[in-house]
Amino acid sequence: MRGYLAVMRGSFMVSVVYRFGFLFTILGNIIYLSVAFFLWKSIYRSSDTIRGLTFNETFIYVGLGSAIFILLKTYVDWILNFEIREGAIASYLIKPIDFGLYTLFASFGSLLMNLAAITIPTLIMLIFVFKVEFVLGPGLIIFPLSLFMAFLVSFYIDYFVGLLGFHSESVWGLSTVKEIIVTVFSGALIPLHFFPEALQKVLLWLPFQAIYHTPLMMITRPDQSWNIFLPMLFVQIFWVVILFIATRLFYNQAIKVLRISGG
Amino acid sequence: MRSIGEYLRLYFMIEAQYIKGRMQYRADFIISSIGMFFSSLATLGIFWVIFESVPDLAGWSLMEMVFIYAFYMIAISPMQILFDHAWQLRFHIQQGTFLKYYFRPLNMMFYYMSEIFDLKGLTQLAVGIVLLVYASLQLNLDWTLIRIALLFITLFSAALVQISIVVIASCASFWVLDSYPVLGLAWKLREFSPYPMTIFDGAFRFAFTFIIPIGFVSFYPSQLFLRPQDVSSLIYFSPVIGIGLFALTYWVWTKGVNSYTGTGS
Repeated sequence: MRGYLAVMRGSFMVSVVYRFGFLFTILGNIIYLSVAFFLWKSIYRSSDTIRGLTFNETFIYVGLGSAIFILLKTYVDWILNFEIREGAIASYLIKPIDFGLYTLFASFGSLLMNLAAITIPTLIMLIFVFKVEFVLGPGLIIFPLSLFMAFLVSFYIDYFVGLLGFHSESVWGLSTVKEIIVTVFSGALIPLHFFPEALQKVLLWLPFQAIYHTPLMMITRPDQSWNIFLPMLFVQIFWVVILFIATRLFYNQAIKVLRISGG
Repeated sequence: MRSIGEYLRLYFMIEAQYIKGRMQYRADFIISSIGMFFSSLATLGIFWVIFESVPDLAGWSLMEMVFIYAFYMIAISPMQILFDHAWQLRFHIQQGTFLKYYFRPLNMMFYYMSEIFDLKGLTQLAVGIVLLVYASLQLNLDWTLIRIALLFITLFSAALVQISIVVIASCASFWVLDSYPVLGLAWKLREFSPYPMTIFDGAFRFAFTFIIPIGFVSFYPSQLFLRPQDVSSLIYFSPVIGIGLFALTYWVWTKGVNSYTGTGS
């Protein structure tokens, strides 16, 4: 366990080197938040509530969505693909570590850095610049746990796509398709409430909503009862378990086809 | 100095070889094209979802938005297809492989960018053209010869604006350790160009018009075809803005190229 914590610390320190980049990411987030603000303002021009959400609720959903978007983007698929192609993956395979856990802890390290450098500043901005008012309720207590589960779901989806790199060289296409499916169907761009009813029902059965929709609902409408929140959390845990098992099985099978040429 | 004709001939020769090489990886081409196809349709899906709840966006109908979006897709295609190598500039600079571009009697930007001809970008272009035709049929747009000429001129200018924004952002890697966040920001900004600029208030509209002129990538020129009666005269400056911005980009590139000292390895 201590070894994995060291990995986490290491990837945190690597992120610190690129601190110049955070300024740009924060700037990007400010612009994104402003654009989203104007866009939703103009959508809400004709009515106060759309699909049961007020402008304020929608904007918290979308704004916080952008703040945690950066947290939950692990880029594991791109990193893994690079390591497989370059053969660098061999150096992990000969170490007495579990590759899946190693990758998880490494991306957990950069998550912590992003939390401090991007998500928290964005939150502060939402409160002080955009004057967003948060509602209090039981949802806020469960939110951190739900966010952590969302991270795991996002991680295992990325990890799975990354492992496809053992079989195929064209990870760009696969990752792009995955990214689009995740951003559109998870509610990262538009709250799922805005989707047509029938489509919403389908989306709630997929793992993607567990990434953004679930934690975002807990923070935009925290004043609902536990009877609503607990099942949502269980669904997240369900997907974490399923994806964990699936990636394990897939890894064991994929590692057999790995061929690294030269050194 | 070589003539433009000579460069064009050279470009076709380089890309013909490149495409032959890429065709070795047919599966990659197909999967990437599918990826591109989906990413082209994602924003359209978002428009569709938004218009499920509201009848119009700042006075623009769904079909008008489709037109603006189609214009945007075509306008960003040259950047995707011809200038995709801009994304790798930071790796070449960090790892020192950028040095090789100094050693040929060719324009460096030409030589560098000609190394990649992004085939998947053709999917984007095709989707854009199909959508543009579809939207103009649905909207009963009247395509006179002058309008068609204007379409080509505005698309050319818009493409230059988009190319300039991305290439300038990639040039940041000449001076900073990692230009990815700068590029990421430029990339993110691009996504806002198919929205009506009229939804933004003063400061943002000013910035998107004059500072980072993403308004000229799609919204302003589209107005010329959708609502010619209330178009602002600003749009007639779009070739000036496109060419001017590209000239600036080329100047920044040259500065960067001249200041690069290699990695020492």
